[in-house]
Amino acid sequence: MGAGIAGNYLAYQMRRPFVAAKKNEEERGTLQRKNAKQIREGLQELRGPVMKLGQALSMQTHMLNAEAIEELAGLQMQAPPMHPTLMRAQFKSAFGKYPDEVFRSFELEPFAASSFGQVHWAVTKRGEEVAVKIQYPAIRETVKKDFQMLRTASFLARVTGHLSEPVVAEVQRGILEETDYRKEAQNLEYFGKQLKPLGFVHVPTPYFELSYENVVTMSRMKGLRMQEFLQTNPSPELRDKIGVNLSNLFFYQLFKVGALHADPHPGNYLFNQDGTISLVDFGCVKYLKPEVVRCYAQFWSREWVHNAPLYAEITKVIFGPQFSPRDTRVRRCMNDIRTFYDEFHPLTRTTETLELADPKFMAGLDRLLRALPKNKFISPEFVFLSRTELGMCNLLHTLKARVPMTQIVRQWMPQTYADKAQSKVL
Amino acid sequence: MKTTRAKPKDEKKPSGKRDRNKEKTKQQILAAALELFRKHGLEGTTTKQISQKSKIAEGTLFNYFKTKEDLALYFFQKETSDLIKWFAKEERLQKAPLPEKLFAIIHRQLEYITPYEDFIGAVFFRSLQAHSKLSPLSLESQELRLKYLRFVRDVLQQAEENEEIPRVGEMGAYAVGLFYVGIVMHWLHDGSEGKQKTLALLDRSLNLATKVLKKGGWDW
Repeated sequence: MGAGIAGNYLAYQMRRPFVAAKKNEEERGTLQRKNAKQIREGLQELRGPVMKLGQALSMQTHMLNAEAIEELAGLQMQAPPMHPTLMRAQFKSAFGKYPDEVFRSFELEPFAASSFGQVHWAVTKRGEEVAVKIQYPAIRETVKKDFQMLRTASFLARVTGHLSEPVVAEVQRGILEETDYRKEAQNLEYFGKQLKPLGFVHVPTPYFELSYENVVTMSRMKGLRMQEFLQTNPSPELRDKIGVNLSNLFFYQLFKVGALHADPHPGNYLFNQDGTISLVDFGCVKYLKPEVVRCYAQFWSREWVHNAPLYAEITKVIFGPQFSPRDTRVRRCMNDIRTFYDEFHPLTRTTETLELADPKFMAGLDRLLRALPKNKFISPEFVFLSRTELGMCNLLHTLKARVPMTQIVRQWMPQTYADKAQSKVL
Repeated sequence: MKTTRAKPKDEKKPSGKRDRNKEKTKQQILAAALELFRKHGLEGTTTKQISQKSKIAEGTLFNYFKTKEDLALYFFQKETSDLIKWFAKEERLQKAPLPEKLFAIIHRQLEYITPYEDFIGAVFFRSLQAHSKLSPLSLESQELRLKYLRFVRDVLQQAEENEEIPRVGEMGAYAVGLFYVGIVMHWLHDGSEGKQKTLALLDRSLNLATKVLKKGGWDW
C-alpha cells in the first residue's frame, strides 16, 4: 500500500512542472482520491485498530480534503464482511448452534460491517426484530498484535515524549474493551436507563440470553445515517433541533451520567425526522473519574484564572503530576484550550447560538488539536473524552447546526460551577 | 488377533439388505469405539471393551475390523462420504466464491472430528509411522485419499472454469489436502475459545492464497 501511494505521488510530482495551474489542481485532486482509495482498501482488509484509525481520520473534516474524507467515510460501515459460512461458524463457536436454529429468521447478508464485527437483522422466536452483532474471529489477538506493532513503530515518538505509554495503554484498553460483547450488553442496559430522562435518545435494549463474548443481540433501531439523512434535505430547523439534541446528549452524559458513549463516528448515530437520535454501538464507553468531570466544570467556570491553587489542581488533572503548573508549555496549552472554549461555549454570551458551520470554529479546533500534541500533552484520562467532544463538533459541523451551546452547558453542569460562572459574568 | 482374510470387493455379491445390515453393524461398532476412544484414548481402548460396548462378539468384530487402525480408516471413509454428500446438497455454496467453498469444506471436516479431538490427535501421531495403515503412503489409505483429492479437484476445476483462479491442475488438490493437514495440526493445538484462531487462520490463508493465485497463478 505504502509503495503504491509513494508511486502515485512521484508520478504526480514529475508531471507537475509541465501542466497548467488549473490542470495541476485537478491532477492533485485525482491523486488524493486515488491515494485515499488505496488507503481505504488497505485499512478495510486489515480491520481492527488500524481501521479504527481510518475511521478517526474520516472524521477530521477540517484537516483532510473532501476527496479523502469521502473515501475514508466508507470505512464507517463497510469493512469486507465475513462470508456467510464464516459468520455462521463464528456464531456457532459462541452459541453452539447455528443462527437459523436460534432465531425465527436471520438475514445472511450483513446490514453493516465495521472494524471488529458485522451486524445482521434477525427476528427472535418470540417475533421481536433484533440486530445481531457478530465479531470477526480472533479479533482480540489482532488488537494485541497491532498494539505491539504500534509500540515498536512509535518508539521515537515515545522517546521524545510526543506519545506517552499511558496514552497508548489507555487507547488499547478502550479498544480491547470493545471486543467484549458481554460488556457491551451491560453498557447498553446502563445507558438505556441513564439516558431515558432525555427523551430524545433511543438506546437498543440488550438481549442477555442471546449475547456472548463475541455475539451480542439487541433491539433493532430505526433512523438514517448522517449522509442518508442529509440527502433528505432536512430543514434548518430540523438540523438545529438535532444539533441541540446532540449537544444536550454530550453534556448530559458528561455531567449527569459521568460516562460517555465514546465512539462518535457518524455510523453510530441514526437520525429521525422528529429530531430524535438512535445511538448504537456501545462497545467503546468511557466511565469518567469524578475529578475529570469536576475539572471540565472548573475549567469552564474560569475561576482558575485568578485562583492559583485551583489552577494547580486543574493542571494536575489535565497534564499529570509530572508537569509544574508554572511550566510555560502548561500555561500556553491552558490558554489555547481557553481560547477555544471562549469560542465553543463562551461564558459571557449565554443565549447566543453558535454557528457550527462557520469554518472559523473548526479552524480553532484544528489549532488546538495541533497545539496539544506539539507540546507533548495528551492526557490518558482525556483521550476518549476529547475524542467524543471532537466527534460531536464534527457532527454538528456536518449538520451545519446552530446551537445555544453555553446555555446547554449551563443546564447540565453542577449548579455550583454554573453559579460561579454566572457570578463571573455579572 | 485372529486373521480372517476378507473377500476382495469384486468377489462380493451381497444383496442390498445384506449390505445395509453390514453397514449398520459397522456403524454400531464405530459408535461404540468412538465413545470408548473419547474416554480412554485410542491406545487405552481394548478390542474386548469395543465388543462389550457394541454388543457384538469379539470374533464377529474381527470380521469387520481387523485392527483399530481399520476402524479409524472407516471413520475417515465415512467422514469423506458424508462431506461429499453434504456438499452436493448445499445449493448456495455451489455458487459461492472459491475461498468460501474451501472454508466450508474444511470447516465441515473440522466439525465432524470435533467431538473426537483426542482420538484425532492419536490417529495423527500414528499416521506418521511408515508401517501404519493410516500413513498417507500406505496402500490401505490410498482409496480414501484419492476420493478426497478427486472431490477437491472437482471444486477447483469449477473455480477454474469460472475464471476465479488460473488452471492449477491436480497440484491444486494436493495443495488443499496438505493445507487441510496443516489446519488440523493447528486446530489440535488451538486453545482459544471456540477454536477462534483456527477459524481466523483458515479464513485469512484461503483469501490470501486465492489472491496470490489470481495475481499470477503458479508462475510467481
